[in-house]
Amino acid sequence: MSDTRREKSSSPASPAPRGGKAIGRASDRGGSVERPIDPERAARRRFRVDESTRVPVLTFFTGGAFWLLAGSILALLASIKLHTPEFLDGASWLTFGRVRPAHLNTMIYGWASPTGIGVILWLTARLAKAELRFPRLLVAAAVVWNVAVLWGTIGILRGEGTSIEWIEFPPYVPPLLVLAFSIVALSVATTFHDRGEAHVYVSQWYIFGAIFWFPWLYTVVELLMVYRPMAGSPQASVNWWFAHNVLGLWLTPIGLATIYYLIPKVLGRPVHSYYLSIVGFWSLALFYNWAGAHHLIGGPVPAWLVTVSIVASMMMLIPVGTVAINHHFTMVGRFAILKYSPTLRFIVFGAMSYTAVSVQGSFQSLRDWNEVTHFTHYTIAHAHLGVYSFFTMTMFGALYYIMPRLTRWEWASARLIRVHFWGTAGGMAIYWIGLTWGGVLQGAAMNDPKVPFLDIVKMMIPYLWSRSLAGVLMTTGHVAFAALFTMNMLHLGKRRYEPTLLDDPREYARLIASPPAWEETPAS
Amino acid sequence: MTLNYIVFAASALLFGGSAVVALAWAMRKGQLENFQRGATSIFDADEPIGRVTDSFPGQKPKPAGGATKRS
Repeated sequence: MSDTRREKSSSPASPAPRGGKAIGRASDRGGSVERPIDPERAARRRFRVDESTRVPVLTFFTGGAFWLLAGSILALLASIKLHTPEFLDGASWLTFGRVRPAHLNTMIYGWASPTGIGVILWLTARLAKAELRFPRLLVAAAVVWNVAVLWGTIGILRGEGTSIEWIEFPPYVPPLLVLAFSIVALSVATTFHDRGEAHVYVSQWYIFGAIFWFPWLYTVVELLMVYRPMAGSPQASVNWWFAHNVLGLWLTPIGLATIYYLIPKVLGRPVHSYYLSIVGFWSLALFYNWAGAHHLIGGPVPAWLVTVSIVASMMMLIPVGTVAINHHFTMVGRFAILKYSPTLRFIVFGAMSYTAVSVQGSFQSLRDWNEVTHFTHYTIAHAHLGVYSFFTMTMFGALYYIMPRLTRWEWASARLIRVHFWGTAGGMAIYWIGLTWGGVLQGAAMNDPKVPFLDIVKMMIPYLWSRSLAGVLMTTGHVAFAALFTMNMLHLGKRRYEPTLLDDPREYARLIASPPAWEETPAS
Repeated sequence: MTLNYIVFAASALLFGGSAVVALAWAMRKGQLENFQRGATSIFDADEPIGRVTDSFPGQKPKPAGGATKRS
């Protein structure tokens, strides 16, 4: 068995294309393929590395999946209340002012952050080619984190929220989150220190960015807004500096680290221009932090502050351009694989959304544009394009890749994955189109003093319905995902001996031009 | 108010400074040279360039169950 393995694996670098398109041809970018380590040792090492991340990473993922469902329900409640205010209006803890922040905080701190942390831990171990340090402490961190989120969410629903957007958790929650987070940071730093790979891959740079920037943002904002609140309008500056940077300096680096690892890894093709990827990281580090004040255009803050943030927002076109060029040209010629691979389909959807949301973000920071669209539903559509379409879809893609390697159980049903993809992608499309369109109309009407305010409220009702419809579609996708997740964790369903692809595996095999791996082994 | 200024100054110094230190470290260690090698560092002998890896790991000519027993 092991002989066959060695024989088979020693020459896969030059697969002769067997008809169809020559996808997956080796060394089409030059560079040596063979490393001075034999394939079996490499495989065994990666298996050990994956194994070391199994329990902590799956614990973080489980919490994430739970909060994804809880957050979806809260989202639906909030959305329905906007067009049908009498819906469930009896209980104080289900009023819009509590349900909406509960939705935001469960999604950011319950779903996005722990899932991102899980991916960070797995990626760090993989990139370092070393076993993950402190797995038990990390499980404790995951438990503390989820208890904190539960406690905070109940607090918000009971009316104890701080009413500062993006940090509504009551003051007793942040210390717990910071404690859990420092364990994660400790583990990442130690694993990195003990690494077996000398080169620091670009994903690792992004991970370090995320790991060091997030506690900075979070502790500074809690200190200046909750524990020792500042007076007056500087609060708004700090608030939006934080809220914008949660996306830009915490979720974005995680998403990009994932994309920069998984697109090349799934395709078996190095990233188009590694040089550009490094330029992209350092320019993001330089510019993003300045951009938050573009949420306060026209507000009672110094004009120079807003101008600096508009300049920084436009400069963001540099890192975004490098990422877009890199991902597109790494994919060129391989787009057909999107038809089959769940991982790649979600990841590429996320990568394209990143370009879309960032370019949109740069231009809507301009004063003329902002005057119409800000403080309308347009901004909500934009925020969801970032956190959902880019980040959440990327995380779904990552989970489709990581989970079977940790649970050693293939996904139960391709049909459910299709429901998941089309529910979330279709829902997101309706959401974005409906609220962007509605938001521009709303903004234009609000800038016209002749239009009575109540007319604008009535005018928005159909667009708000489209938002609820989108929410139902996305929640359907999430339920399909949760079912798949549970079946995978518990090893339910029939054992599968082939990858769960979204289309005919035979066609896929011809497409990737080398005999598929799952047909190679049993022949011996 | 003093506390606020301390937080501003300390955090700007700490995080701006750490980025500069990280960049200097990367240059000293040669991380910013030989980009071609850097791009290929995520591939392994058993998952080389040219191999599409989105398939169930246990079924490839690769580790899964057998690997742990041996190590």
